[in-house]
Amino acid sequence: MQGPIYRLLAGAAALALSAPAALSQELTIFWAEWDPANYLQELVNEYEAETGVVVTVETTPWQDFQTKAFTEFNARGSAYDMIVGDSQWLGAASEAGHYVDLTEFFNANKLGEIMAPATVKYYAEYPGNSGKYWAVPAEGDAVGWSYRKDWFEDPAEMEAFKAKYGYDLGVPQDWKQLIDIAEFFHRPDQNRYGIAIYTDNSYDGLVMGVENALFSYGGDLGDYATYQVDGILNSEKSIEGLEAYRKLYSFTPPGWSKTFFVENNQAITEGLAAMSMNYFAFFPALVNPATNPNAANTGFFANPKGPYGDQFAALGGQGISIVSYSENQEESFKFLEWFIKPETQKRWAELGGYTAHAATLESEEFRKATPYNEAFFQTMFMVKDFWAVPEYAELLTAANARLYPFIVGGQGTAKEVLDALTADWVETFKKYGRVQ
Amino acid sequence: MTRLRSDTRAAARGLSDLSIRNLFILPTITFLIVFNVFPLIYSLYTAFTDYRASTSAPANFIGLANFRELLGDPYIWRNFTITAKYVVISVTGQVIVGFGLAMLLNRPIPLKGLITTLLLLPMMMSPAVVGLFWKLLYDPSFGIINYFLGLGKFEWLADPQMALYAVAIVDIWMWSPFVMLLSLAGLSAVPKHLYEAAEIDRAGAFYTFFRITLPLVAPILMIAIIFRTMEAFKTFDHAYILSTQPTTELIAIRLYKMAFLEWQTGLSSAFAYIVLIVVVAITNIYVKYLNKAKAR
Amino acid sequence: MAEVKTRGEVFFNRVAIVAVVFAIIVMLTPIFWIAATAFKPRNLATTAPPTVLFEPTLSPFAKLFTKRSQLREPVPEETYAAAPWWEKLVFDGGEQVVRNRKTGEATSSGYGNRYMNSLIVSIISTALAVSMGTITAYGFSRFRMPGESDWLFFILSTRMLPPVVVAIPMFLMYRAVGLYDTHAGLIILYTAFNLSLAVWIMKGFIDEIPREYEEAALVDGYTRLQAFFRIVLPEALTGIAATAVFCFITAWNEYAFALMMTSKTAQTAPPYIPSQVGSGLSDWTVIASGAFLFLVPVAIFTFLLRNHLLRGMSFGAIRK
Repeated sequence: MQGPIYRLLAGAAALALSAPAALSQELTIFWAEWDPANYLQELVNEYEAETGVVVTVETTPWQDFQTKAFTEFNARGSAYDMIVGDSQWLGAASEAGHYVDLTEFFNANKLGEIMAPATVKYYAEYPGNSGKYWAVPAEGDAVGWSYRKDWFEDPAEMEAFKAKYGYDLGVPQDWKQLIDIAEFFHRPDQNRYGIAIYTDNSYDGLVMGVENALFSYGGDLGDYATYQVDGILNSEKSIEGLEAYRKLYSFTPPGWSKTFFVENNQAITEGLAAMSMNYFAFFPALVNPATNPNAANTGFFANPKGPYGDQFAALGGQGISIVSYSENQEESFKFLEWFIKPETQKRWAELGGYTAHAATLESEEFRKATPYNEAFFQTMFMVKDFWAVPEYAELLTAANARLYPFIVGGQGTAKEVLDALTADWVETFKKYGRVQ
Repeated sequence: MTRLRSDTRAAARGLSDLSIRNLFILPTITFLIVFNVFPLIYSLYTAFTDYRASTSAPANFIGLANFRELLGDPYIWRNFTITAKYVVISVTGQVIVGFGLAMLLNRPIPLKGLITTLLLLPMMMSPAVVGLFWKLLYDPSFGIINYFLGLGKFEWLADPQMALYAVAIVDIWMWSPFVMLLSLAGLSAVPKHLYEAAEIDRAGAFYTFFRITLPLVAPILMIAIIFRTMEAFKTFDHAYILSTQPTTELIAIRLYKMAFLEWQTGLSSAFAYIVLIVVVAITNIYVKYLNKAKAR
Repeated sequence: MAEVKTRGEVFFNRVAIVAVVFAIIVMLTPIFWIAATAFKPRNLATTAPPTVLFEPTLSPFAKLFTKRSQLREPVPEETYAAAPWWEKLVFDGGEQVVRNRKTGEATSSGYGNRYMNSLIVSIISTALAVSMGTITAYGFSRFRMPGESDWLFFILSTRMLPPVVVAIPMFLMYRAVGLYDTHAGLIILYTAFNLSLAVWIMKGFIDEIPREYEEAALVDGYTRLQAFFRIVLPEALTGIAATAVFCFITAWNEYAFALMMTSKTAQTAPPYIPSQVGSGLSDWTVIASGAFLFLVPVAIFTFLLRNHLLRGMSFGAIRK
């Protein structure tokens, strides 16, 4: 009677003692399923080699990423220790208490200085200008442009262009040139079209595309600190920017009504368009000759400036946050300390991650590493993002509902659209008590 | 509770009819009740609150505010009309194509089994994959529809008016086999002697069809229509991938955006219950027709 | 009585066959296109105009089963030469197979596991749904049940709500009960989901079977249960086959709940197949190969049941 019980107790004790040790040696990072997640997994394997802590990057397809992440948070699950979340989630996740406050960590490690300022502002800080930080910028991203160098450098084309527009054909220096070039190359009877832009209105594709025009024309989406929208979203400059985007739509291939990064890359690989907008994260596919038959002839440029000298690009990218329900928060902090080291950031860039580390971005080595890194470097210092408030998705829905019929369907005028959208957004802000 | 005629004799052997009835029916009903009760109550409760599943803020009871917001929203009405139009086009198309195919197949033809299996293939693919590939097929530059039909640059999904039909065509393509299979089963159950009798009486094809074939296939066909209508109201997967134009925003798409993109959980539950009431009403009518058809 | 066909009948028969062939062509062209894409080299999948004739390759399948990342620089000669045939195909596609750092093993994409999960979950849930559905339908058909039409309507209504709405409470329920990410969880879910279809379709078929047969059997001394198993079930085989096919297809292709209720252990294939996005280009060939392979079990299952599906009812002799 006593024998077995003694053995049972001993066994239980041994189990109890060994369990915590086993638990603390594993970390899980949750991300979307794409190449950067593979690169991150390679990177964290080096962390394991150094410290013995096993880090797994768990992934799920992009379209389900948000759903899975927030459902897990809602259930206060500890399945993920860290998450590489979208910049737009900052508001929702921090206000709901899903993210651990990283302000101390930020200030202690002077992250505000060593990461590119725009990334700190948009990937990490919420509310705007509050000095509270929730994520470490990990994967920088923004919208850039690819183009067919061979079409641009063809002497016959250059001559015809100069004759028609009066200046040399080359990488567009501003939006007027962008529109001219798109018009010039738009030849439907030859199955060649001027440009490929984002039109997917199921989530944020269309809005991100429009942002590139809006911001560069000097317009804006509102004041992120005071939530003022009227007079900013529907300002003269915003209207002009929206009209420019509409103009570009007329130079897109047929059926270009629900396009995002897949279709826009296809426009280049299949030789459909002369220029194509896309997030930098998707450009590696364009320089790979196996996936892009036109790889050798594909060039890249940053979003050009507008007529009034403003130059901005829509921001993408994600930052790593620690999940409040994780059982390994201390271990996660240690990981982040390792992640932000210059050597690690350099290695991250080498493996293919789009580092947000300012010094790495500025280095000659980085800028020359790929055909698009130079444009990326330029762009990362002039990015602007959408609202990061928790109700951002409702703002997106309203924007999609108003912008789409105008841009793709040609209904209404830019002024009407932006006035209506302003009213919608003010409604939403009132609903959530941000304005009176 | 009435007992069947043969009960008294059968009762001596084996289980009584009552026990069999309970044994056969109760487990299923119990299982379904237990399984569905929590989600239904949960959704019903959240419909009256301002709960958002992405935050940890508690749910506040707000009475009928969600319902008022929905019923006053012009976009919601448009979603309903679009969905209604879609359901009509899609189910009608499925019935015509499905039943038509069944009529064609209801005769001795070689390789009938193989042909039937082949015609069932569209139904066997995952709707998400179907949506992805049809998007490619409809594309004027990359797709084979315009290519094979010589339609040049005809816009399917980009045209606001055409888009809904394009989505409905995919639905018809995918689900006609469902109607076809059920109709075929129903058609082959029509007793041959009825046809022989009609032939002897020199009945024409129309008479035979409307007075003999249709009434006898009607019950099974109605069941097919009921289920396809219910599913058409829930259409999401392939429609969302094909087109997110305002003119093709079906109820389920709007519901998804509300629930999982905007995280307005309370509002979306309210919306779902409004939809449920509509579907229950429509299905009720169909079931009455079904019972009438069976009674003949 | 010999069957004498009129000329009109023969003509109509021929027209019908032509119409059937036409229908097959129209209905199957998209499927054929998907199947063709599954064997194309990547750069031919989305050409403008579409490529109809091409040289088939197995590279999409090689890519389907492996986890890959983009090649950032050309492959060294020796590595290429030493690679197995499927890895060579991946290299040709501009990608490399992700290998485990320590063991050097190629990382699986997980498609195979998910495929197995799909098989397990679908087969078991179909068997459960069909059996429970059949006996319940029999119960409702042959016996009086108080509130029968209400119960039947209730069963029907379990399939009326879009999955989106019940996803969150289901998720919470499953987490609380410990069914999250388990095979049993999905099986139970799909059974519940398919029950309404099974009950209603089987009731439709069983209603058509004349009761006189069972009455006669009972008079002859059979018990009700024996009458059910020996008389009703064989006659209802067509309905059972059709129901089995529909239930299997529904469970096999289900996406929304498979995504929400599972993650690593029990996830099935449908949430995985469309996700071959990689770094900026949808690899249509891999999606097509995944979809193509996924189609095979369903097609085989249906084909095996074809005779039962077409059997119809054999007893037209008794008039109702």
